[in-house]
Amino acid sequence: MTELLTVLTVTLEEGLMYALLAFGVYITYSILDFPDLSVDGTLPLGAVLSGVLIRAGVNPWFCCLAAFAAGAAAGSVTGLLNVKLKIRPLLCGILVMTGLLSVNLVFIIKGTGGFSIASFFDLPTIFSAAPASAIPQDIGGYRLRPLIVALFIAVVCKLALDWYLTTKSGLLLRAAGNNAQFVTMLARDPGTFRILGLSIGNGFAALAGSVIAQQKGSADLQMGTGMVVIGLASVIIGISLLRKVRFMKATTKVIAGSVIYKACLSVALALGLPTEYLKLLMAVLFVAALLSGNMLDKGRAKIRD
Amino acid sequence: MKTLKRLFAAALCAALCATVLAACAEKEPAKTEKLTVGVIQLVSHPSLDNCYEGLVAGLKDAGFVDGDNIEIDFQNALGLPETAEQQAKNLAAKKCDLLIGIATPAAMAAYAAARGTDIPVVFCAVSDPVAAELVKTLEKPGVNCTGTSDLLNLDAQVKMIRAFQPDAVKLGVLYTTSEVNSVTHLEELKEIAPKYNFEVVAQGVQSSADIPQAITVLAQKVDCITNFTDNNVVNNLADVLAKANAAGVPVYGSEIEQVKNGCIASESLDYIELGKQTGAMAAKILNGEKAADMPVALIKDSKPVINPDVMAAFKITLPDAYAGAEKVTK
Repeated sequence: MTELLTVLTVTLEEGLMYALLAFGVYITYSILDFPDLSVDGTLPLGAVLSGVLIRAGVNPWFCCLAAFAAGAAAGSVTGLLNVKLKIRPLLCGILVMTGLLSVNLVFIIKGTGGFSIASFFDLPTIFSAAPASAIPQDIGGYRLRPLIVALFIAVVCKLALDWYLTTKSGLLLRAAGNNAQFVTMLARDPGTFRILGLSIGNGFAALAGSVIAQQKGSADLQMGTGMVVIGLASVIIGISLLRKVRFMKATTKVIAGSVIYKACLSVALALGLPTEYLKLLMAVLFVAALLSGNMLDKGRAKIRD
Repeated sequence: MKTLKRLFAAALCAALCATVLAACAEKEPAKTEKLTVGVIQLVSHPSLDNCYEGLVAGLKDAGFVDGDNIEIDFQNALGLPETAEQQAKNLAAKKCDLLIGIATPAAMAAYAAARGTDIPVVFCAVSDPVAAELVKTLEKPGVNCTGTSDLLNLDAQVKMIRAFQPDAVKLGVLYTTSEVNSVTHLEELKEIAPKYNFEVVAQGVQSSADIPQAITVLAQKVDCITNFTDNNVVNNLADVLAKANAAGVPVYGSEIEQVKNGCIASESLDYIELGKQTGAMAAKILNGEKAADMPVALIKDSKPVINPDVMAAFKITLPDAYAGAEKVTK
């Protein structure tokens, strides 16, 4: 029982941290319909920047904001490349991701004096400094503090995003993805909103990087590998599987998707699935979620007929 | 028209090639008195930095002083194997007298770049040079390449764990499936463990994102965990320690830096010594000996290192046999 609960706490904690990344992918992929690969670069950007700033003694919560801002700046570059220079979405993402490799390396080297990993094991992070230090490290033998902090951040981000999407700017952002002509009809430039959306999306990815790095106490470039897929899988699993659930907002479904994705990984690990097959399992899961979404759609169409 | 365009493109290409070749020819330095040694280090981390420090010292002991009678061209690939390959090719193109690679990917890059030239290659901190196809056999490399291997002393390590935890049954290990060194070490560990009545439980990961959950699941199944020199795992050591310790499972490190950072103990290799030995071998080659006939040097002598703070936290008393162990803390 304790074993199960321990694994469950870590799974939830991971799922909630990666939910921030999934928010970012939700905005770019689901709302804007823009396949954005730049998150593979912006997530480590947030991580590395936070690592370097924490080593310099900056307040960890401020580091989260700085990471969001840096990610947003990088995301707006992706947007500008696409909207102003008319470069294809996939290429824009690849270009920004590649460029960020250098930017991240420069940050790490300047910040650590030549190392390619920024570690800050004993320095204050959002998980150890105030106000998190008020939460006991162990509650009933479980490491609940990181879970509580991750939950807090995920909920705050979810509420902020929900609120933003109902504002005028948020509505226009949604329209820019759904029906760009409508935005034009309102005498607004859909391109501006695409840039804005990419900027917010990558801000979230960088924030996720900052939180994940602070949780593990180090940041390096390898953190970015495969992040697009994790984000996409979370969004698609959440939104497809929970398509019929009406009372949940899309953002809540995204959080659920991220937790489900991590739970599948935990189950596979606990059952002793050989590591070589892990990614294959994730791909199968991905397809299953997509198919179930499609089948639900078909079912509904038949009923309507 | 199309043909014309193609011709024009071909002419441009030819012109470009010619310019590059001309530039190369111009750059061809009039051989100075000084010998040049190109060094490629995969990444900056304490163990590998110690290797380089030892390497320079080893060369100096043999009478080759940097800036005096040799020129060391040091390149750091910052953890990117493709950068290491590029650096190795550049150094080989500059016709240096010796190429040295620190850590397996850097050594493989140096070897690949030097193939087809007469530049000898010396590697440092390569756990399994035969599997990496850097040498034919450890005793007689047979190719223009030799060096030192940092194969862990797993026998001493497991013996130490047995002494520290006499009742432990399951020995866990977290490793990255794509790291050759880890796979080699795991095979060896599986052979050694039964001798000390341990059952090995190995948990592989594919990327750093898998680590938090993998270590949590592993820690539930085992009594103790030992580390290899797995770069991915070592980079995420703080998280590994936090989650294993929360489950009450001590983690044994593979070298002194990990013990400083919170592993309970380790049978640690001395990387400065490894570097020095590499330097001595490099000096012999600079003096004209053949790399092909020089056996790969294995450093098997490890020394025990413990972290008294962590030992106290786990309420483990130091066995008498390890009374002389070096004590390190943060």
